[in-house]
Formats: sequence, structure tokens, C-alpha cells
Amino acid sequence: MRTHERRPLALLVVLSFSILAGPAHAQDADALRRELEALRQQFASVTESYAQRLKALGDRLQQLEGRDAPAAPAPVPSAPPPTTTMTATAPAADAPTLADLARPRQPFALAQPGRVLLFDIGVSGDFVTDFTSPTRERRHDGTFAGRENRLFPREVQLGFFGRIDPYASAVVRVSAGEEPTQGASSSRELSVRLDEANATLLTLPLGTTARFGLMRPRFGTLNTVHQDDLPQVDRPNVLARFFGEEELDGERGIEAFWVLPFSTYHELSLGVFDGDNETAFGRGSLRDPLLIGRWRTFLELQELGGLQLDVSAATGTTADRHRNTVIGVGGKYKWIGAGSGFPVLTLAAEGLGGFREMDSDSGGNARVERWGAYAYAQYDVNRRWAAGLRGDWTELPVERGREWALSPYVQFKPSEFLRFRLQYKHTEGRGAVERSAEELFLQGSFILGAHPTERF
Amino acid sequence: MRTFSRPLLCALTALAFIATTLATPIGAPAQSRLRVLATLPDLWAITRAIVRDLGEVRVATRPGQNPHDLEIRPSQFVLVKRAEILVRNGLDEDAWIDPIIESSGNPRLLRGAPSVVEAARGLTILKIRTGPIDRSLGDVHPSGNPHFTLDPGTLPVVTGNIVAGLARLRPDLAERLDANRRAFLDEVAAAARRWSDALAPHRGAPLVSYHDSWPYFYQAFGLEELGIIEDRPGVPPSPQHLVALIRQMRERRAKVVLVESWYPTDMATAVARAAGARVLVLPQSPGAVQGTDTYIAHLDFLVTSLVRALAE
Repeated sequence: MRTHERRPLALLVVLSFSILAGPAHAQDADALRRELEALRQQFASVTESYAQRLKALGDRLQQLEGRDAPAAPAPVPSAPPPTTTMTATAPAADAPTLADLARPRQPFALAQPGRVLLFDIGVSGDFVTDFTSPTRERRHDGTFAGRENRLFPREVQLGFFGRIDPYASAVVRVSAGEEPTQGASSSRELSVRLDEANATLLTLPLGTTARFGLMRPRFGTLNTVHQDDLPQVDRPNVLARFFGEEELDGERGIEAFWVLPFSTYHELSLGVFDGDNETAFGRGSLRDPLLIGRWRTFLELQELGGLQLDVSAATGTTADRHRNTVIGVGGKYKWIGAGSGFPVLTLAAEGLGGFREMDSDSGGNARVERWGAYAYAQYDVNRRWAAGLRGDWTELPVERGREWALSPYVQFKPSEFLRFRLQYKHTEGRGAVERSAEELFLQGSFILGAHPTERF
Repeated sequence: MRTFSRPLLCALTALAFIATTLATPIGAPAQSRLRVLATLPDLWAITRAIVRDLGEVRVATRPGQNPHDLEIRPSQFVLVKRAEILVRNGLDEDAWIDPIIESSGNPRLLRGAPSVVEAARGLTILKIRTGPIDRSLGDVHPSGNPHFTLDPGTLPVVTGNIVAGLARLRPDLAERLDANRRAFLDEVAAAARRWSDALAPHRGAPLVSYHDSWPYFYQAFGLEELGIIEDRPGVPPSPQHLVALIRQMRERRAKVVLVESWYPTDMATAVARAAGARVLVLPQSPGAVQGTDTYIAHLDFLVTSLVRALAE
């Protein structure tokens, strides 16, 4: 009886396979034919280019043999047409079908011409000095807590990045640096940690790009910027207060993003993470995940510059199992002078709002709403010199208190790979951060080896 | 039951609203038209001469923009997203396009894919570095000097690569693309004779440039590269280098210092003044000067300007 019941199922499976397999074989043959055609064309193109090179070399040899006059310009030969068989299949339709979208992209050659199969390696070093008063040093309440009046390695980072295979790329960054002081003790020990280790899947359907692993999530304007690439020596107060000195970094999870098919730039990203950031979340479990979303757009204003806007939201659970939600709105405008690309004027601002559930004194839940923002302007006089001013205002995310700060700075870049900064910071705090602090930062940072291209 | 917090819902609603109302959907392009993206203006000008009315050719950089220290702008992601074929230099001058492609959701344009044309393939490349290469040499191009399109003699190979790439994607257009290419090469050949004749009286003239942009141009027209002010790309030159260069210019009676239009002229002016020469600011790529957005118009401008400067 049970055998009889299985028969229709088996028949259905066989039938399904036979229906699916037919078109699949036809598609395979078609794909092979196209590939063969492409190979034939590549071969013809290579043959042609070699023939031209040989001819050019022959011409040059003749010129050298009878060199009474300086070398004449190379003649422009009328090159033979690239050999293409006109019996080729019809061109691929512009609009992909649903089946096209659902199928992973075809593989292609892996190695770049003339390169060995090796990834890029880069090292960046970022050293900071925070000069401040003995009171700040004693209380460890400077911007770089516990490292006041010392030159310290904030971050020395070793980065590896490159392609894994035709479908994915990967980034691994390991860093060493002095961690912020916890409590009253001051430690000079370097801690080594894995900052980032993630793979990006490049050929997913529907124009999706996704990465998984340990990463700096796409939240806000400055969060994705690494320490050595920040526009000022320190992170703005609001970001440091809401997420900690290194901001929302080192999250484990998966993130997908899309460049939307519009005529202007719109990028949408959504991520699911453990929620490891102890300052803002700290639950560290996918049972109560940290969800992050960001929308970013860009308006190309041609000679008038470019304007980038972003809206972000992150919601997760704190270590004491209370919900915390942070929203962010940011904008960055940049005007670049024509010709040499200098001067450059940058104006940027970002605001955060925090909505946090907490235990109330009466025993129930209370909701705390806190805000903060920063804004800065920077003027790059030329390739080497720049100056700027940043203003900070923020409330504390948990305790009662607020602070504001003003930081003028000047930057000198002898080359693209070496940078020095001098920044003065005046901070006034009230409530739990009651203080008036004067600080002078000196920063030197360098890059060895491969480095990513600078972004807007 | 746990629900999303109100701020998050508000943010997501706002996000969806903005995305759907502010953005204009791209109209579906005509099926028969090619959508090509060139990384640099010289490749843009050459590809346009081949594609003509068969499609749309866009460029990822603005004419007159220095491609060596380019900053990635989000608007470039849209260009990459829309393109079906990419024409790139192939010698690292436009390596900045790789991170753009990796984040644009258009894997057809990833390096090594069939839809990517490497224009330099098959060319004899000048100034390939040998020996140890590190950043003490400045921001060097380890694969060799990438400014090959300034020699019209390279165009048969460059255009051959472009047509082969386009025909690989659209075999139905191969004949028309090739006819366009032949017509373009004939125009360039005629113009090259004109350029050679114009520069013939100045064959062997010693020239100095700010950046190492012109070796192919010198080679094509029999000019001599006497020296380069920026001896290490991206790093200001040392006083010793400048003193030696000025001495050499005086000895060889060098008349002209070429400065690419995206570099400051103050240092070149000081060198030229000290050596008794003059500064000639030239665009290295088409379109930076009005009326020079075609390859031939651009080379016409370069040759005419140089002849005038050398004759003074």
C-alpha cells in the first residue's frame, strides 16, 4: 500500500526533472555556443593585435636601421576588422527575465593580466597625542580617556583585501592600539583585535550586493569611515557618546545593499547583526538582533558641487534586555574648484536621536529620549594644506547631562600617504560630565602599500 | 509580543516615501542601443567615434579632472549601474572604478568579465618599472605609463580592442561598429599626417613637463623628453632635482615646460623663468577645453598650441 502511494510521487519527480532538464540542456548548449563564439572572437582579436605589434616592431626596426632622421611618427594603419561571425545568436535582451535575475551570473576569468593571484595588503598607522591639564589627566575624562598627555598608537591596522573568486571579494583587518581606560587605572598595553573580516557577494540576483561576517555596518555618515580616515582627529562627541569611542564597529552579521535603479543615486542597505556594541546595545544575540537600515542619496550639482544625504535607523536590545533605537540624519556638501581640483570646501552635519527603554525608579519601564549633533566645515587650500572647524552638541544617552565642544584644526599632507593634524578642542560639560576641558591633539598617520580610493 | 519601535517605523516609512517620490525611474532603454561607460575622457572620445549612433557612451570622470587622485562620487555608481559594457584603460590609471563596480550591483562590469574592455591590451607599453617599486618613488604606475592614447599610432590596437569587446556583447552590430572604426582610423591617419607635418620643424626639440603624461606623444612626433618636474608622481620635487633640471634646460636651450591643466602652475613657472623657457598649459584629455571633445579636435589643439609655443 505504501509503495503505491510513493509511485505517483516518484513519477512526479521524474516528470519534473524531465520537464526542467530539456530547456536546461538547450540553454547549456546555447550558452556553450555563445562562449565558443566569444572565444573565437577573442582569438581573432589577439591574432590581430599580435600581427599589428609585429608590424610595428618591424617598422621601428627599419627606422632604426636607416636612422638618418629622428623617428617619424608611427603611421596609422587601416586595421583589419575584428573577425566576427555574423551567424551569431541574437543579442541579449536588455530587460532581463525573471529566470535571468534569479540565476547567479556566469563566471569569468579570474586573473588580471600581468598580476599574480595575490590580494592587496595595506598597513595604516595612526598616532595621537592629547595634551591637556593635569586635572583631566588625573580624572581620565579627556577625549582619549586614560591616554592624556601621552603619544599613543590609536590604531595600527593591517588590512588584506581582494577577490575570493569570480563571485565574491573579502576584507580582513587586524588592528592594534591602546584601548580607552576603564575606571581609574591607566593601561599602556596594546590590544590586538580583529576589526573586520567579511566577504562581499557580488553576483547575487536583483542587483543585490551582500556581505557577511564581522564589519562596520552602514549606519549614518561617519560610522563607515575608519579611524585613520576621519575628517578630524577624534570622532564627534555625539557619535562617541552614543556608540563609544570607535562608534558602531565590529558587528557580526549580514548586510545587503542595493543601488536602486533610478536616474539619481539612491542606495538602500539593510542589516541584521548580533548587537555587540556594548555602549548602545550589547545583547549580542541573534534572538534579539540589532537591525540597521540606511537610505542614502546623492545630488550631483555639477560645477556647484555635490550633496549627499542619508537617513539611518538602528534598533536592538541592551545587555539588560531593554530596547534601544537610534535614528540618524546626515548631510555632506562638497564644492571642488575647477582645473586643479582645489580649493575644496566641505560642509557636513549629522544628528542622532536615541530612544531607550530603562528601568524606572518606580519599578516599571521608562523611555529616555536623547539628541545630539555635530557640524563641520573644512577648506582645502591645496593638495597639502587644509583647515576646518567642528562644533559638537550632545546629550548623554543614559545619564543626565550634556556637553558642547568647539574644535578648530589644521591639516598638512606631504603626500597622499602621510598626514599630520593639529587640533584644539574646548569642551564644556554639564550634569554627569560636568567639566571645562582644553585639549590639544597632534596626529600623525601614514599608509603603507595598498590603500582604498578616497570617497566623497 | 514585541513590536518595532515607533521611531524606526517612522524612519523606514520616510525612507520608502522619499525613495519612491523623489526618484525618477530610469526609462527602459531601447533594446538595440548600446550603453557604454568609459572610465576616462580619452577612451570616451574614442569609443564615441566608434559607437556613433549605435548607442550611448558616458564617461565616469569629468573632462579636465585629474584621474590620478580621483575621489569616488556616488553619482558614478549610477553610471556603472546603468552600463552594459565598460571601456577601461587597463593600466591602473582608472583602478578607482573597481570599488565603485563592487558596490554598484552590476557584476557584469567586474574586472575580467566579458563586458569589460581593457584598451591597453596588445600595446607596447612605455616606462614599465623594473626593480624594487615602493612609495618612495611616489604614486607610480607599476604597469607602465598609461597615457598611450596621446600617440595616434596606438589607436588601431585600442579601437580594435573596443570593437572586439562591443561585438562580443552585440554581434549583430559588429559590421557597423567595424565600419565606424575604419572610418575613424582613416580620419585619424589623415590628421596624423597633418600633425607630423606641423611638428616636423621641431623634431628632436627638448621638452620638460610637470607630470609624466607625454612619453607617447613625444614618441609619436619625434620630440625629446628632457625631464619631468614632478620626478616622483604625487610628491613635490626636491630643490636638488629642480636645480639639476634647470641647468639641463639651460644647456639644451629647452623652450617649453608643459603643464597638465589640472596641476598648479606656480612651480613650473618658477622653473621656466629660471631656465629662460615658457610654460604651456595643456589639457591631457579631450573635452577640458571647449570644442575639443573629440579625439582629433583634442590632438589638433595640443599640436597647434605646442607648435605655436615652440615657434616663439
